[in-house]
Amino acid sequence: MSGAFILAWMVLLLPLVSTVLISCFTLKNDKLSARISIGAVLAGFVMSLLIFLSAREAGESNITWISIGNFQATLGVKLDNLSALMLLIVTGVGSLIHWYSQGYMKGDRSYSRYFACLSLFTFSMLGIVLASNFMQMFIFWELVGVSSYLLIGFWYERPAAADASKKAFLTNRIGDFGFILGIIMVWAATGSLNFAELKGVFEANPEILGATAGIVGVLLFCGAVGKSAQFPLHVWLPDAMEGPTPVSALIHAATMVAAGVFMLCRIFFLLSPDALQVIAWTGGITALMAAVIALQQNDIKRILAYSTLSQLGYMVMAVGVHAPGAAMFHLTTHAFFKAMLFLGAGSVIHALHHEQDIWKMGGLKEKMPATYKTFLIGTLALCGVPPLSGFFSKDGILAAAADFRHHGNVFLFAIGVLAAVLTTLYMARLVLVAFHGKHRSEAADHSHESPSVMTGPLWILVIPTLFAGFLPIESAVNHVAGLNHAGDHTQAPLAMAFSVLALLIGGSVAWSLYSKAESDPIANRLHGLSTALKNRLYFDEIFNGLIYVTHEAVSKLAEWIDRILLSSFIVKGLSNVVDVFGRGLRLFQTGSIHTYAFLFVVGIALVMFFVMGGVL
Amino acid sequence: MSILTFILFLPLLGAGLVALLPKTAKGLIRAVALASTALPLLCAILAFLSFNGAEAGPGGYKFYQKVAWVTALDINYQVGADGINIGLILMGSIVSFAAVCVARSIQDRTKEFHFLMLIMIAGIMGTFMSIDIFFFYFFHELALVPTFIMIGVWGRGKNKDYATYKMTLYLTLGALVALVGLVLLYVQSGAKTFDLIALQEQLRDNPISSDAQTTIFGFLLFGFGILVSLWPFHTWAPVGYDAAPTATAMLHAGVLKKFGIYGLIRIALPLVPQGAQAWLEVLAWLCMGNILYCGWVAMRQKNLNKLIGNSSVAHMGFVFLGIASMNLIGISGAVLVMIAHGFLAALSFGLSGYLYDQKKTLDMDQYGGALRQMPFMGTLLVMAMMAGCGLPGFANFAGEITVLFGAWKSLPWFVTGTAWGALIIGAIYALRAVRKMLHGPVANDTPPLQDAANYWIKLPYVLLVASLLLFGIFPSLLTDKIRTSVAKVVKSIEAGTQDQETNLAEESVKTELDIQLAGQD
Amino acid sequence: MIGLEHYLIVSAILFGLGLMGVVMRSNLIVIYMSLELMLNAANLALVSFSRFTNTVDGQVMVFFVITVAAAEVAVGLALIVALYRKRQISEVDELTSLKL
Repeated sequence: MSGAFILAWMVLLLPLVSTVLISCFTLKNDKLSARISIGAVLAGFVMSLLIFLSAREAGESNITWISIGNFQATLGVKLDNLSALMLLIVTGVGSLIHWYSQGYMKGDRSYSRYFACLSLFTFSMLGIVLASNFMQMFIFWELVGVSSYLLIGFWYERPAAADASKKAFLTNRIGDFGFILGIIMVWAATGSLNFAELKGVFEANPEILGATAGIVGVLLFCGAVGKSAQFPLHVWLPDAMEGPTPVSALIHAATMVAAGVFMLCRIFFLLSPDALQVIAWTGGITALMAAVIALQQNDIKRILAYSTLSQLGYMVMAVGVHAPGAAMFHLTTHAFFKAMLFLGAGSVIHALHHEQDIWKMGGLKEKMPATYKTFLIGTLALCGVPPLSGFFSKDGILAAAADFRHHGNVFLFAIGVLAAVLTTLYMARLVLVAFHGKHRSEAADHSHESPSVMTGPLWILVIPTLFAGFLPIESAVNHVAGLNHAGDHTQAPLAMAFSVLALLIGGSVAWSLYSKAESDPIANRLHGLSTALKNRLYFDEIFNGLIYVTHEAVSKLAEWIDRILLSSFIVKGLSNVVDVFGRGLRLFQTGSIHTYAFLFVVGIALVMFFVMGGVL
Repeated sequence: MSILTFILFLPLLGAGLVALLPKTAKGLIRAVALASTALPLLCAILAFLSFNGAEAGPGGYKFYQKVAWVTALDINYQVGADGINIGLILMGSIVSFAAVCVARSIQDRTKEFHFLMLIMIAGIMGTFMSIDIFFFYFFHELALVPTFIMIGVWGRGKNKDYATYKMTLYLTLGALVALVGLVLLYVQSGAKTFDLIALQEQLRDNPISSDAQTTIFGFLLFGFGILVSLWPFHTWAPVGYDAAPTATAMLHAGVLKKFGIYGLIRIALPLVPQGAQAWLEVLAWLCMGNILYCGWVAMRQKNLNKLIGNSSVAHMGFVFLGIASMNLIGISGAVLVMIAHGFLAALSFGLSGYLYDQKKTLDMDQYGGALRQMPFMGTLLVMAMMAGCGLPGFANFAGEITVLFGAWKSLPWFVTGTAWGALIIGAIYALRAVRKMLHGPVANDTPPLQDAANYWIKLPYVLLVASLLLFGIFPSLLTDKIRTSVAKVVKSIEAGTQDQETNLAEESVKTELDIQLAGQD
Repeated sequence: MIGLEHYLIVSAILFGLGLMGVVMRSNLIVIYMSLELMLNAANLALVSFSRFTNTVDGQVMVFFVITVAAAEVAVGLALIVALYRKRQISEVDELTSLKL
């Protein structure tokens, strides 16, 4: 095993060690817990950097988990450009968020538990990133789900948080259901779970899945739909904002939700054209729908949550149009600036004593200059202002969608541009309303800048937000995904033109609407639509109706059958039959010797008649 | 003398000692009971660790011992362990020790309770190590009788008597139906022996006619099935476990209940394989009843114990699905689920017992925010619930996923249903219980709930969780042992059904390869 | 000539009388006497068979019956007396439960 693999194993296991240490030994010692957790992830970051920079060859190191017949499941680390990049993102953003949490969570009575959960999450996420096979990916996929459950429900005494965590876990589970069936079908067809082996199998025989290729692709995509919150399983992500804000930044913006996109890039080689069509359209629909909903949200974290949904839709759409490189590129840049935006929002919320309504903020520009500046840079990057990182990565996706001769599609391209206009609109709305204008509440008036432990990570994140756009991520990932062309950029000028146009339109509309607004001007004009948007297009209700109510009804029926039909009717019925029979027989037992003697004689006579009747 | 004999007779010896002690010496009684389960636990760990190096006796059984008992009928005391039951024996000893630890809360008639409990433990151990069908059955009955008495006398709730009757009738009926099957098997085989090894050899050369096999397997399936709460014969389980004292529920749901499945895998599958094939479809449908139907029933429960009871019935569906797959991967998974579920059921009932002792009710609506009051026990309950809905890292996941993989090829639609039951329905009721009891605003409890005060109280729970985690993270500790023995079962299934199904030949080459591979390890 | 059938007819009549007594009378002592009558009817049949077949088996049987009947009388009468002492009854209609 070469040095890089030893390092990779250590990166993976350090957070686990940290979780175990904190939860077994240092629950009472808050400072030490934080130090252990931060130490683990920082050390992981340094080692990831070493792995990233070292001249490594792609490969993997495995240990056996279960081996029965041809069911061979292993746990391992797989190193290639894709995983090295993700390692860097997860540990890099993770370190900053761990650090930031020290300030944000100060004084919480479960401070140690928070860091234990955070370490557990980091471990699970690294497990997905380093996974060498489907089984491992599924295992850590589930563990990510549970650590997200623990963190969303961190303040479990608040009913909203407890419900949100439950909802997040269950919604993810629906995606996982498809994912595991897809995995089993791949295994049944090929006899292998290992990505490298599968890649070999698919190169030798691309048709090995036969007629089921499309179904398998869509089932595997279900996993990504759940984890990356794509339509129609996106309902959990906005609710997940009930968790502490650093958690929203780490899990629900930068890393966990990216897992779905990462997985799609990892298994890109076995997705059939049909499946990719489904993926592209799902991504497109999510991008547009979330951007529309974000327009009418008033909670600062929810606006960012819908923005995340929309951006994830972009990435998934990129995978669907055969551009996994562009997807990973956008994932990387998005991880940086979205983490920064969330941490900025956290800083605002912290300063305003947990006020999250943007219409109760206003004028924070002067009160919180550092937060404002970093938040503005993040917003500009998200909107795709050149030459910030978001511009390049978004451009890559639009260029892929505009590649009509290959896998692009004019409708998807239009959706992408429209979503870009809306992105600029809602982000400008957020900045103008929250940071500009007058103070609209007492809390906003008395706010003050957050401590340096919280603004520090913000400034550090500015660096990659500014410069990550120049990294050669796209071609490196395309190479891993098995696409030999290094990203086709013939359509880049077209995409760039539309992207700048979108920016200008969105920006000017937002300025005219919101620069002086005291309340939302478009809410009145849109009437019913605005209400629908505020209620998130009623997706929660529809979803509730479909999944929850049907299950509830079926379970009512089953319980009724169990209680009334089986337990009472059949089981008790049987015992009642025996009982009645016994009561009937008891009538003969009068206790009178005369009756007995008489019956005795009759009996004897009958026996004699039957035994000797033939003789007589 | 075999190490297994120690594991079997130490609890019996303990029971004898407890019977001789005065009623008032409660401390001494508990000490004896603890010692007479702790020592077998050590022996079981030792046996488990030395399993791979141990010398194999007749039939491939290790730690083999045979003492003639009734020579006229060829009944022998005969114990041995192979890959299938060594894990069960270890699981049984751990759960027994934990159950004795938890029985601390029994203050009324302590002596009698511990006496019965030790008899039950001895019966459990004997069941899983016997390779003589007579003793296999005898030890099960030996364990069953104390179970009824314990529920009837020390049980809780107003439904206690009803539950005792129901459980007694159901289990006795199941055991009787299984007995008919076993007797038929004895008569039809013509081997005139209860010795499992000899029977197997006899039937390999002269299999029973296909029709007779179908009849025998039917009796065994429903007889054993009733004992394992096969749908629709499951309604005794939630009611019975709800009324049972904690230690009894742990022992029965965790270990004794596995008798039925063990019988199916050990006796029914290899001896009457053609019968098994005839019933395969039925079994697969019934297992849907377990997983989906009982999952839905569990969703509606308001009482924690009933929820756990129904979910444990649902979990049995995985085992039946694994058996219905009739291949190496599926059956190995079924054995793994059996062991994992033993730990899990014991842990869940242990925790619910702890809560009951504190609050005298298990109505979930009356709890709230309990995680704040009892962080340690609450965390364990979250872990138990998570293990129940198949979270990786716990042994249940390893077993369930193996079953799903194994059953896919022959029963894909059933696997789909099972996966839905495991991933979605399981998660719904588990999370709902957590949400109701542990999360949310703290309920006004008078007196407030107490967390486990010292290491002695924590010990049994920690032991069970640690076992779940150990075998969840390193399932190959078990599967490497299981697969070799299951390969033999599968081989005799294939040999027995070859004239019916020729396309299985290809699979059998694979399993033979596997045996060779396992031999090399 | 008086043959076997005449003896058997007498025996059957005696048995029938005894049986009627057992079933129809309600006094314990009378029932008891009727029982004895039935036993002796059987004895009569046995003895006549013995006489007409020239074997002693029937007579041996009769001795056994007499012995057992004697023992039975002892136990039975003791029970009746005990019952009478305890409950002051000698009618079976009043005896419908196993409890005293």
